Amino acid sequence: MLRNALRKDLLLNARHLWGILPWFLWVAYAMSEPDAARMTAVGAAFVGSLMATTIAAREDKLRTAATLASLPVSRRTLVEARYLVAFIAGAAAYVVVVAMAAALPWSVQRAAELVELKTVLLTLTLASAAIAVMMPLVIRFGMIGVVVFLGAFQLLGVAVMVAFEFFGMRSAVGVFSAVRRGIVALHRGLDQPVVILAALTAVALALWASCRLSVFLAERRDL
Amino acid sequence: MDPILELRGVTKHYPGFSLRDVSFSLPRGFVCGLIGPNGAGKTTIVKLVLGLVRPEAGELRVCGDDPVTAERAVKDRIGFVHEVPAYYDHLRVGTLASIVRPFYSRWDQPLFEALVREFEVPAGTRFGSLSRGTRTKAALALALAHHAELLVLDEPTAGLDPVFRRSLLERLAAYVGDGRCSVLFSTHVTGDLERMADYVTFVRDGRLVFSSTREELGDRWFVVRGDPRLLDDAVRRSLAGVEIGPHAFTGLTGDPAAIRRALAGHEAVIEAATLEDIMYYTGRPC
Repeated sequence: MLRNALRKDLLLNARHLWGILPWFLWVAYAMSEPDAARMTAVGAAFVGSLMATTIAAREDKLRTAATLASLPVSRRTLVEARYLVAFIAGAAAYVVVVAMAAALPWSVQRAAELVELKTVLLTLTLASAAIAVMMPLVIRFGMIGVVVFLGAFQLLGVAVMVAFEFFGMRSAVGVFSAVRRGIVALHRGLDQPVVILAALTAVALALWASCRLSVFLAERRDL
Repeated sequence: MDPILELRGVTKHYPGFSLRDVSFSLPRGFVCGLIGPNGAGKTTIVKLVLGLVRPEAGELRVCGDDPVTAERAVKDRIGFVHEVPAYYDHLRVGTLASIVRPFYSRWDQPLFEALVREFEVPAGTRFGSLSRGTRTKAALALALAHHAELLVLDEPTAGLDPVFRRSLLERLAAYVGDGRCSVLFSTHVTGDLERMADYVTFVRDGRLVFSSTREELGDRWFVVRGDPRLLDDAVRRSLAGVEIGPHAFTGLTGDPAAIRRALAGHEAVIEAATLEDIMYYTGRPC
């Protein structure tokens, strides 16, 4: 039944998932930038996963949620399928970027580097974090939740820029720098078995908790 | 009789609206019309049956199972047509069927194709390009193609042309003919039910007014017309609702014997009430 639910989401939302295509134009450009090349791959998987998490919001918008929920499939299975779709979308985006790295003549990123275990694991960790945070939010608050969440991040970014540019508050960008340093450190550490184990455990726990919460929210939701 | 649908004391609260203590049942092999004005709670009952909303109190059984705990098994036996069938508009009807098909254990593809031909639904056309009536026809084909035991129709005849409407009602009558399947038919077009409903359940303001067979309704409810000066306390007490015009009053009574006694010796007309009369006058102040 999970397979049917997965197939349903992929067929119903194929067009929506193609919405990630413009992102690849930026990826194609960024392949020539030594600093950005690796992060484009991670970013593509991240964005692909985010696109897939918005399927539930899209069903609200199209008013198809009630029709689909009347199919003989449990809401738990529907939610689990959403998580799988998000991973498939993220993985597909990652594969495309690897292929671009191999095919684009101006790419400074070698495809072989992108399929290194530690890069793949970093991508998995970040995409999982995005899925784990966004999925319950989308199920509970729909498209408005997505817009508010992403909008709040945008506003935070603008506020930090203003604080830095106009008031010289270096500490404002400190959080972002710390996040960046943390990602870089995690990437470096992901060739050590202990870090790999810790990262995979954290990812599994976050996804398990997120999925439980999403199922709880979905099962109690009136359509 | 084996009930295919049973609600006992079902309650559901929304901000500004509550469905309270609704109880009725539908035996196998019959059509039940669920009537009531807009906002009465019909769609909430339909959603409860489908497990789309959860009751806060009471018990609900569909085909003997709880639609919340036995979600999949119950929905496998229900065919559903929404008031405004909403699917992904960019998909063709045939593609939609290919998505829906694997979920049902008893999907019958030749039957679906036959229904699509019979209803003249263009299977290669995108759902968003179909008229409202054709969307309903497509939804009906999807609902009928998996041999559902209970067909739940939420205002299905809205937007249908009279010819197809009549043939739909005939099809539904045939559908319940084998005594195995039943239909729950939510509508405020009571004329449809006069033709085919075996049972009628009437809700108003979230409360059940009555649920009984159509024959019982015909035996019980009558419309009374007479001079407004006849409306004394005894007459008013026998009326469930009344409308007073300049020259005559028209009221609904569930107690024809009492009204005949009260109007004895006066000129008044007492005749069988239609479902529309019952819906219109019930709840009107006396």
